[in-house]
Amino acid sequence: MQDIIQGLHPLERKIIPFLKNTMLFQELLEQTKMQEAEVMRALQWMENKELLKIKTETKETITFGDLGKKYSREGLPERRLLEQLKKKTLTIQEIKLEDAEKNIAIGELKKKAAISLGKEIEITEQGKKLLEKEFPEEKFLKSLPKEPKSLSEEEKRTFESLKKRKDIIQINIEKTRTITLTELGKKLLKEKIDVNLLETLSHDLLKTGKWQGKKFRKYDVKINVPKIYGGRRQPYMEFLNKIKVQLVQLGFKEMSGPLIETEFYNFDVLFQPQDHPARTWTDTYHLKYPTQGKLPNDLVVNRVKNVHQDGGRTGSTGWGYKWDPKIAMQLMPRAHATAVSARQMVKGIENPCKYFTISRVYRPDVLDATHLIEFNQLDGFVTDKSISFRTLLGMLKLFAIEIAGAEEVKFFADYYPFTEPSVQISAKHPQLGWVELGGAGIFRPEITETLNIETPVMAWGLGIDRLAMFKLGIKDIRYLFSQDLKWLREPRIV
Amino acid sequence: MPTIDISLKDLSKLIGKEITRENLEAEALLWVKGEIDGEEGDLLKIDCKESNRPDLWSTEGMARALAPFYTKERGIRKYTSEFSDLYIHVDRSVDEVRPFITAAVISDITITEELLKQLIQLQEKVSMTFGRKRKTVGLGIYDYDKISAPLTYKACKPTEIKYVPLGCTKEMTLKEVLEKHPKGIEYAHLLKGYERYPVIIDKNNVVASMPPITNSETTGKVTEKTKNLFLEVTGTNLEDCKVALNVMACALADRGGKIHSVTIDYGKQKIVTPDFTPKKIKVKFEDIEKITGLKLTLKELKELLERFCYDVKKAKDRIEVEYPSFRQDILHPVDVIEDILISYGFNTIKPIIPDISTRGELLESELFCESLRNVLPGFGAQELLNFTLTNKEVLFKKMNSKEENCVEIANPVSSKWSCIRNTILPSLMEFFENNQTQEYPQQIYELGECVIIDEKAETRTQTIKHLAWALAEKEANFTKAKQILEYILKGLNMEYEIEAEEHESFISGRCAGVSIKGTKIAFVGEIHPQVLKNFSLEFPVCAFELNVSEIYKLKE
Repeated sequence: MQDIIQGLHPLERKIIPFLKNTMLFQELLEQTKMQEAEVMRALQWMENKELLKIKTETKETITFGDLGKKYSREGLPERRLLEQLKKKTLTIQEIKLEDAEKNIAIGELKKKAAISLGKEIEITEQGKKLLEKEFPEEKFLKSLPKEPKSLSEEEKRTFESLKKRKDIIQINIEKTRTITLTELGKKLLKEKIDVNLLETLSHDLLKTGKWQGKKFRKYDVKINVPKIYGGRRQPYMEFLNKIKVQLVQLGFKEMSGPLIETEFYNFDVLFQPQDHPARTWTDTYHLKYPTQGKLPNDLVVNRVKNVHQDGGRTGSTGWGYKWDPKIAMQLMPRAHATAVSARQMVKGIENPCKYFTISRVYRPDVLDATHLIEFNQLDGFVTDKSISFRTLLGMLKLFAIEIAGAEEVKFFADYYPFTEPSVQISAKHPQLGWVELGGAGIFRPEITETLNIETPVMAWGLGIDRLAMFKLGIKDIRYLFSQDLKWLREPRIV
Repeated sequence: MPTIDISLKDLSKLIGKEITRENLEAEALLWVKGEIDGEEGDLLKIDCKESNRPDLWSTEGMARALAPFYTKERGIRKYTSEFSDLYIHVDRSVDEVRPFITAAVISDITITEELLKQLIQLQEKVSMTFGRKRKTVGLGIYDYDKISAPLTYKACKPTEIKYVPLGCTKEMTLKEVLEKHPKGIEYAHLLKGYERYPVIIDKNNVVASMPPITNSETTGKVTEKTKNLFLEVTGTNLEDCKVALNVMACALADRGGKIHSVTIDYGKQKIVTPDFTPKKIKVKFEDIEKITGLKLTLKELKELLERFCYDVKKAKDRIEVEYPSFRQDILHPVDVIEDILISYGFNTIKPIIPDISTRGELLESELFCESLRNVLPGFGAQELLNFTLTNKEVLFKKMNSKEENCVEIANPVSSKWSCIRNTILPSLMEFFENNQTQEYPQQIYELGECVIIDEKAETRTQTIKHLAWALAEKEANFTKAKQILEYILKGLNMEYEIEAEEHESFISGRCAGVSIKGTKIAFVGEIHPQVLKNFSLEFPVCAFELNVSEIYKLKE
């Protein structure tokens, strides 16, 4: 009981002196002179504490609508029309009624066969008889207010037809709430209720020290509080940032490049022949506008041209076709992040060096739960005189352990146009099982020697989206770029 | 990358040893860069990742490459051709359109259903992938007994000559074939713009084929009754034509066929095809050791190479290796070195964790972006990551603004993804539109890439970073947007000016532009009710957008 008393809200305390064992809500409202919402809230809290019960009853009453009030004074339009017709036949224009009333009155009288319609409207014998009596509608209106439950069969019909007419009658719904105290509530009324409890710890109380020796009202700590959403970073962005930190820890330097690339950097520098199927419209996007970019200085362009045509000075046979600078100039949305590596290598690199990038790339695919039309690729390269295929496998294994948390790795021979030897790595993830983690290789000498890089260059790309989906607990890849605010707002703290 | 159908039974027969899916998948398939893509009874679908080795794209080819793995076979498999007096005269008129032809005759072959299936599959894969959809290489297979030698390969005017194309009953001119025949319609673009089209005619001036479209109904029908085959390859590069012919001829020889040569008379020069002389390349020991990271003895190297169908010739500081005539993928010694590694087995190599000491770092500009991204959640904003692909409807029309030049995709998958955004605010408005059922207030932001047109730039565009923020709620107003924007601007420690600006997306008189040193870097305001209507929004929105790249440049 003491807990209940100390937990009473000021509103509850305010209404308690007015409570009786049984009383109407309205009665309480009048006596307390408080706002309806305040009294209601206090009553609901008390009901939750099982101090009282609120019983709600609804009562329906048929009363006059705006027009109903008017007609009860002036008479129904059909009676007024019939009165006019009794004197003489009339054309529609001659009827002295408001336009809206005319149609209704004519309609009603027609139904009762009280008038006949021709060029002029005439009263019938039936009409004359009717005029002498009280209409059922008039009788019904006189008897208001009434409860719908108490209607006779005839009254029901009249009620239905009046209901169809605008604003003549309306149904008022009246709620009656009865408050009944429970045994616990009755006991509470007998208790002395301490009014000296502190509600809010105010600035003033603290300043004056008046809080000392006083008690605070106890809260119902289990009460539901309104939901609140904090602003936060996008979950996939957070995932990518963690990967970036891991790569920096492994000594990698970040690089970036433009979203719109020339085919030169996207393909030609990477020794992909100009008629390669991957360069066709089904595999990559092309631009309607703008279409052509510029090539870098002639020295680089000529070397790339020569290596495609006959291998240049790299000891390769080349592809044996006539290289066309116009194709290399064509612009396209970057199709793979290796284009960023190509740009970096042309720009110049230190030796040794380690680079990485997380870059947006585009593929003509249909957007669905397993395919994106644009996505992020994690790519990079490393060069040093110590590099061999064995160190490449070592680096991939390190990635698999550090980034994917893998327990075991497996290597597969693969084909990429710009690396030889090429390798695909699969990693055994503790929960996901075997996952294809990425592809790598040593850049072909046709690429590195053309760019005057004298040591072998390991190039790698890791598919991190499956890992991201696992970490974020999503099955639909589109959620990496989520358009769902509800999901983004979900609390997740890891 | 071609996917080919292979019957395990057929493969076992060709190799001469029982092959199961399990032992194929465990290691052998790695040799041919294959991956099982599907299985249906005895039939395996194998994805062949090696897009430059047409010799692997058939059961015969797979069997040939895998034989040393399962059996004692080593080195290059020997193929010979018997000299025949079949002649093809090449008229110079083809020089302009499709200059090269190679051919062979295969006799004594029993054509079974399985062989026919494989033959058609190989023809298809070679001309589609290796031949770039028949553009550089196209193949024809004929019933040899229905051809009257010698043949002439020449180019004719579109209406000069008529024949009955495969699958038809009536004669058509070459022009009509391109217009009416299904293959004609499909490949007409290959002959577009040429005055004359290539044809192969026999001694009676009857058209046997119209490469690379389709051959004739009389000569081109190959059935289980056919006894001798005539193969022909035309194309734009002689080397590719030779490779494609050898791939086909070897596959048929593996099935028991006898190969007969054909003399191709180019006028100035005569060549005899097919030519199985192995190709040669020299590889330095030093390079092998450097790239593989393995110390291999000559004996080990010899075994590794011979198991990969190479013959090893000389050895001093370098080895001279010979490889089959149908291989076209070896451009450089590194290609041989990869084969040594595959033969050794990728998973038997001990990896070495590289010990290269370098200093890792993030890009300065990225760190700057991250600082900005981390400010906004403090105000209760939710970060978003949106696509950069969008469309003009969202970028301009729904934003109530004039259409500007932006990057447009020529081959969009859907018109919904046909442009690359030049601002971010439309992405945020679209996000609001998609989330109207969620609780308000909704406060969102994104700092990401946009592309603007810059005619002077190397890529005629600039990839720039923008930061856009927006708030949708009952009380969204100019003050709320400006408060946050000014917090950011003050944090940059740069002097800025705010001036009234007219912007079609904002309510007139409730929009401001911000500039630093005379360069416009941001705008802020209350979104115009028409724009809200266009995105079906029923709450006011206030927003700002900041050109982060420009600020970064000015900061430096």
